[in-house]
Amino acid sequence: MKKLSKKTLNKSFLSWFYGNLTCFSQEHMQTFGYLCSMLPVVDELYDTQEEKKDAMQTYTAFFNTEPQIGTLVVGMTAGLEEAKANGEALDGETINGIRAGLMGPLAGIGDSLIVGTLIPILLGIGLGLSGNGSPLGAIFYIVTWNLLMFFGMKFAYFKGYEMGGKAVELLVGEQAQALRDSIIMIGTMVIGAVAASWINVTTSFAIPGVIELQSTLDSVYPKLLSAGTVIFCWWLMTKRKISPTMVMLLLVVIAFVGVLLGFFDPGLSY
Amino acid sequence: MQINMIQAILLGLCACLSSMPGLGGTTFGNYTLGRPLVAGMVVGLILGDMQTGIILGAAIQVIYIALVTPGGTVSADVRAISYIGIPLSVCAIKGMGLDPSSSAARDMAAALGAAVGTLGTVLFYGTATVNLLWQHIGWKAVEKGDFKKLYLVNMGFPWISHFLCSFLPTVIITMAGSSMVDLMKAYLPMDGVAMKTLFTVGSLLPAVGVAILLKQVINKSLDFLTFFFGFTLAACMGVNLIGAAAIGGFFAVTNYKIQMLKLRPAVAGAAAYDDEEEDI
Repeated sequence: MKKLSKKTLNKSFLSWFYGNLTCFSQEHMQTFGYLCSMLPVVDELYDTQEEKKDAMQTYTAFFNTEPQIGTLVVGMTAGLEEAKANGEALDGETINGIRAGLMGPLAGIGDSLIVGTLIPILLGIGLGLSGNGSPLGAIFYIVTWNLLMFFGMKFAYFKGYEMGGKAVELLVGEQAQALRDSIIMIGTMVIGAVAASWINVTTSFAIPGVIELQSTLDSVYPKLLSAGTVIFCWWLMTKRKISPTMVMLLLVVIAFVGVLLGFFDPGLSY
Repeated sequence: MQINMIQAILLGLCACLSSMPGLGGTTFGNYTLGRPLVAGMVVGLILGDMQTGIILGAAIQVIYIALVTPGGTVSADVRAISYIGIPLSVCAIKGMGLDPSSSAARDMAAALGAAVGTLGTVLFYGTATVNLLWQHIGWKAVEKGDFKKLYLVNMGFPWISHFLCSFLPTVIITMAGSSMVDLMKAYLPMDGVAMKTLFTVGSLLPAVGVAILLKQVINKSLDFLTFFFGFTLAACMGVNLIGAAAIGGFFAVTNYKIQMLKLRPAVAGAAAYDDEEEDI
């Protein structure tokens, strides 16, 4: 009965933690990171060069997902490879089927939960602490983010290794769904506060003696123009399917026209 | 303000570590060193004015608060934003004599950072393309069973890609760019249309960053209410970001408990919450 040692698993995990995207190309995104992290596993499980070559062949297939949450898959395949080496009815094709089936869903969860929620929450707090130029916010982000990710990914790797397919239920079950929705709720609220604190769109439009648009707007709802700009950009991207880069260019045009019409005026001089 | 050779080299090294397929790794490279907030501190230390660096980094950070790269397509490149955009902003703001903590300085940094970041996508595709060479070597090694070489392919050779596509561009642009500020000052008056547009664009751009994030997290129009709850907290009630996170946390726990009651009436919400929390 072959059993992977803790040392090998740690080596495999660290190799993934660091190298999941170091040799990225559009053609094979995380494939080489995956190959490297499976190398210690395959090395320990198989004795002959032929067997090793055969096992490594499995992991030459394309792989790409959100790499941090994707650690779970790497841990799972280490477990599956171990089972295969012990003669269970598993072949490389089955392992690849499982891997390919998980890439998409995990990328979706990782992008919305980690990149789209956790990072903005931490950065939002960091921005709050660093707004006046203090290093506190940056240091807060560096420490919390790296600790959370290192231990979170390690946990995911070993959970994947121990539980195999069941580990996925931790992420996609109903309970996990409820937890995800709640975390995303914090994220949405924090991003609302970030928008209000950091976006400052103002107008200089005024007809002397009749109306001063900015103060009128302020009395309706503070930062109304900033909120409006956000909704406008969101509408362009989701409803009109315009790319962020194009939206930015459009804003340049809007700013230019606005300046010419006297709607925008930063009022600066050297 | 000039950027000297040693400073440019340090910035170039940071660029190698922090880009999307970066050599600092995804977690520490791309998502830590590459974030403009952190880069602001690093650039500030390198250029000898940490406070200015952090203020400008934070301003640029808002635009890229949710830089998601689904399926490896990028709309902006973090190494360019952080290690070319921020140093140039610092030089520009010092050269123009703007107060770093003014909103004008932040708008300027946002406009410059976004412009450089968008152009920087070229660097991203450049790195990925050069990496194809190393992957080619890698496939040969797998075929031959020369597995040790894979480490070199994955973690060694890409330094060459980064020397070409991160290090050199950063060194050249930051050194040349710092003297551009005087030219700008001479030919583009602050009250002219060009500069007015630049500052206005800078004030509009953070909205794009927030909108990208909303696109990710808003599935139904009712979710906007959550966003505006947070917005109102800060805009009308003056709650700061940590306060908003705490209030958000309270509502999230409440929401989670209600959801769990719906699923399994007997489950004790708090205990299950602690168990699951580590999955993040």
